[in-house]
Amino acid sequence: MRHLFHRLGRGCIIALAGAATLVAQSAPRVTFTDTRMKNGLRVIVSEDHSAPVFSIAVTYNTGSRDERKGRTGFAHLFEHMMFKGSEQVGPGEHFMLVFNNGGNMNGTTNKDRTLYYETLPANQLDLALFLEADRMWSLEITKENLDNQINAVQEERRLGADNQPYGRTFEALEALAYENFAYEHSVIGSLEDLAASNVDDVRQFFRTYYAPNNAILSIVGDVNTKDVLAKVAKYFNRIPSQPAPKPVDMTEPAQTAERRQTIDDPLVKLPRIDMAWHVPGAYSKDDDALQVLATILSSGRSSRFYESVVRQQQLSSNVSSFTSGTRGPSLFQIISTALPNKTIPELEKAIDAEIEKIKTGPIQDWEIEKARNINKRGFVGGLGSSLNKAISLGQYALFADDPNLINTYLDRLNKVTAADVQRVAKQYFVATNRTVVVTNPKVAAGSGGVQ
Amino acid sequence: MNRLRYSKTVIAAAAAAGLAVAVPRAVSTQGGAQAQSSKAVVMKGRAPVSTEMLKVKLPMPAESDMPNGLHVMVLEDRRAPQVSFQIIIPGAGGYFDPAGAPGVSVMTAAMMREGTTTRTTDQIAQILETMAATVTVSGSISSPNASVSGSSLTENFGNTLGLAADILLNPTFPQAEFDRYKARTAASLVQQRSSSGFLANETFARIIYGQHPAGRVSMTAESLKAATPETLKAFHKARYVPDHAVIAIAGDISPAEARKLIETTLGAWKKAGAPAPSFEDPAALGPSRVSFVARPNSVQTSLWVGTQAISRTSPDYDVLSVMDAVIGGGPTGRLFVHLREEKGYTYGAYSSISATYFRGTWLASTDVRTEVTEPALRDLMAEVARMRDEPVPVKEFEDRKRGIVASFALSLESPAQVLNTHVTRWLYKLPSDYWDRLPERINAVTIAQVQAAAKKYLDPSRLQIVAVGDETNVVPILKQYGTVDIYDTNGVKR
Repeated sequence: MRHLFHRLGRGCIIALAGAATLVAQSAPRVTFTDTRMKNGLRVIVSEDHSAPVFSIAVTYNTGSRDERKGRTGFAHLFEHMMFKGSEQVGPGEHFMLVFNNGGNMNGTTNKDRTLYYETLPANQLDLALFLEADRMWSLEITKENLDNQINAVQEERRLGADNQPYGRTFEALEALAYENFAYEHSVIGSLEDLAASNVDDVRQFFRTYYAPNNAILSIVGDVNTKDVLAKVAKYFNRIPSQPAPKPVDMTEPAQTAERRQTIDDPLVKLPRIDMAWHVPGAYSKDDDALQVLATILSSGRSSRFYESVVRQQQLSSNVSSFTSGTRGPSLFQIISTALPNKTIPELEKAIDAEIEKIKTGPIQDWEIEKARNINKRGFVGGLGSSLNKAISLGQYALFADDPNLINTYLDRLNKVTAADVQRVAKQYFVATNRTVVVTNPKVAAGSGGVQ
Repeated sequence: MNRLRYSKTVIAAAAAAGLAVAVPRAVSTQGGAQAQSSKAVVMKGRAPVSTEMLKVKLPMPAESDMPNGLHVMVLEDRRAPQVSFQIIIPGAGGYFDPAGAPGVSVMTAAMMREGTTTRTTDQIAQILETMAATVTVSGSISSPNASVSGSSLTENFGNTLGLAADILLNPTFPQAEFDRYKARTAASLVQQRSSSGFLANETFARIIYGQHPAGRVSMTAESLKAATPETLKAFHKARYVPDHAVIAIAGDISPAEARKLIETTLGAWKKAGAPAPSFEDPAALGPSRVSFVARPNSVQTSLWVGTQAISRTSPDYDVLSVMDAVIGGGPTGRLFVHLREEKGYTYGAYSSISATYFRGTWLASTDVRTEVTEPALRDLMAEVARMRDEPVPVKEFEDRKRGIVASFALSLESPAQVLNTHVTRWLYKLPSDYWDRLPERINAVTIAQVQAAAKKYLDPSRLQIVAVGDETNVVPILKQYGTVDIYDTNGVKR
């Protein structure tokens, strides 16, 4: 996931806070309205008067999946251009106005969606709606400020990938695991493709994807729903809808044999193994069981990977597992770095042994209970933040056409049984469905090398 | 500088059902005339901004003291069925590591949850994680405090705090787990040397603080190897005492319930009669130095420029906060606007103040592609000089101050964050109305004060430059700023 800039310590996106009125120990509910404006803009509003603050999230249905060959990284570059000026708002004025008035904001792009958000004191609702509406209505882009952001994004790529240990591993893994171009390439894109982007590309992309009927506006916090809807109409109604963009074909051909690659990375000091299996996308039925599977395998010190691979066998300092969470075909990934003097084959064997155990051996009741409680805490913890709720409502609406998942998703996850977990483990953890990338240190002269 | 810019290309979204209405809009220019300090930012001044400043009053926690000296702060907030806590123990941080044994505080904290008199490490993990509760013990490599913190759903809070108390009071430091910890940690000591940011931080701390405890950023392979369970036991016994500690609880619990729970779980924590921890400022900085860490295969240069500044209780704290906001405290700061939005040298450029019990730092940092190291460093230094040499324009100054004051409303979303501000107030013995008076104090800061602070603290003869990157390309550039000390990625000076 790429951001407009580093997420800052400012503001308060801490997952520890309160929700709407509720009785202790009962599951809180988020109430909201879900409205479609005449121009197709979907508007979701949820009142929460617990603090004099609101958040607004605009989720556009576009991401790097929509990029064409030769323009990798463009959706994210475009996100940067959304801060470079529109009809009524000068370049950079957007973030100046938000921060100058005590707010917090950012933009972020992934494979499936592009998200813009602001959190502000409650008296600045007009400001937030005006800013978002103006740049949905018009962009004013010069070659000069496009070139400026191409540079900034290229630095973002260097900072996040080219100058980081293991920074290129994830790209290698995705390129090998996926055959469909939509997910095969990274969100950040290549330096060459970024450099080739031009103002016509920006114009075309804006026209195609930045239409009200291709966006979801979610607003949560110390606001009045009626007032919000009236103001949304005032600021957004003049923006005409566009023909819906042609959906991208996300079909991923079935994998028939294990794929494996070794890469050398001169910036790393210890070898790492990354594994990936194709799995269905976020919020699919099997995805629920895969979330619980990931918790059992790698969440905390009571997890199987930690207890066996880290603590008992002492092969690694950490083994993580997770699904990539994409809307289309997803990946279940495992990442682990070998301790000094341990080898990748030893580490791989130990990880494989745990995978076999979960496919065939018993899953303890407490492991399922743990997953349920972790899900519940995650849900309760997220409710205190208006921004968290605004983003979740937009995400559920876009990915599953069901913003009410904010209330029902937890129940779904809690229905997952040990048998479900075993079923998905057996179904997806098969060698022919697997991609493996090993990253080895390439000792460069003068670097100090591996100790 | 200070030139508004004309847009040349216009893109309009107005295209209805096949009728593309690309409306070329002549861009008006001087609207608002609120020039920021760079042509990269143009304030048209047409957006509707509420000029009202929300009056924000932080809720106050209930405070009391336990007979053993432990201070109690409870902020009841029933909005969600969860409770968080933190116990802060001044005197148990790495500032107080035994001489020649960096990392003892960090190791002690890490090992406390690896076994107690009644529970093994895997039992602790399983009990906590099955409840989805957390208990974290944090030491520090150089700062004064250690902490035990955590959170849980309301229904599990009693058990969670009980387990935290067991970890705090009865750790056994089992040898077998310590051996495992050492193996894992040895790997991370190797691993961290591949990070440009770590190398910059290590060198910067060494230059700024010298032999002062704050000059340490990591334990060493040697100190890790040398430590024994006895070392940790002794540190724990002497340092984890309640005499000057505070427990702060926020969330779905009343002060009375919390107090009762604390008495039950932490009543056995014995007062030690330990004196309040005391601190020394680092030795005054010598003249400017230029330090470089040669990191082969780097494609960017990490640039850190900074100096010693103030402690948290310095009378200059508010003034320096405003100065820092102007130069680099976020995307509205001059460094971001100039180095990124105008020049495209970097993804980000920021500055920050680090101020605790002793004289801390002011630091500006950025990562830039190797090819632009020279102009990026020159521009960064120019921004520092401009803080000293020119008064901040009124509009910019007022904008930064308003941003600081208005952002306070956002903290009200999180009871844990609200309580944190009160803990800060208590730890540094700030007045009880400290936060309520923040707007007043910030608004009182003047342009002249900020410039005077810049002249005082950003003294060019004391500014330290640290860079990490490609040796061949970067060292010749650094030589323009003085003699360059060169280190390898193991921190060894050539």
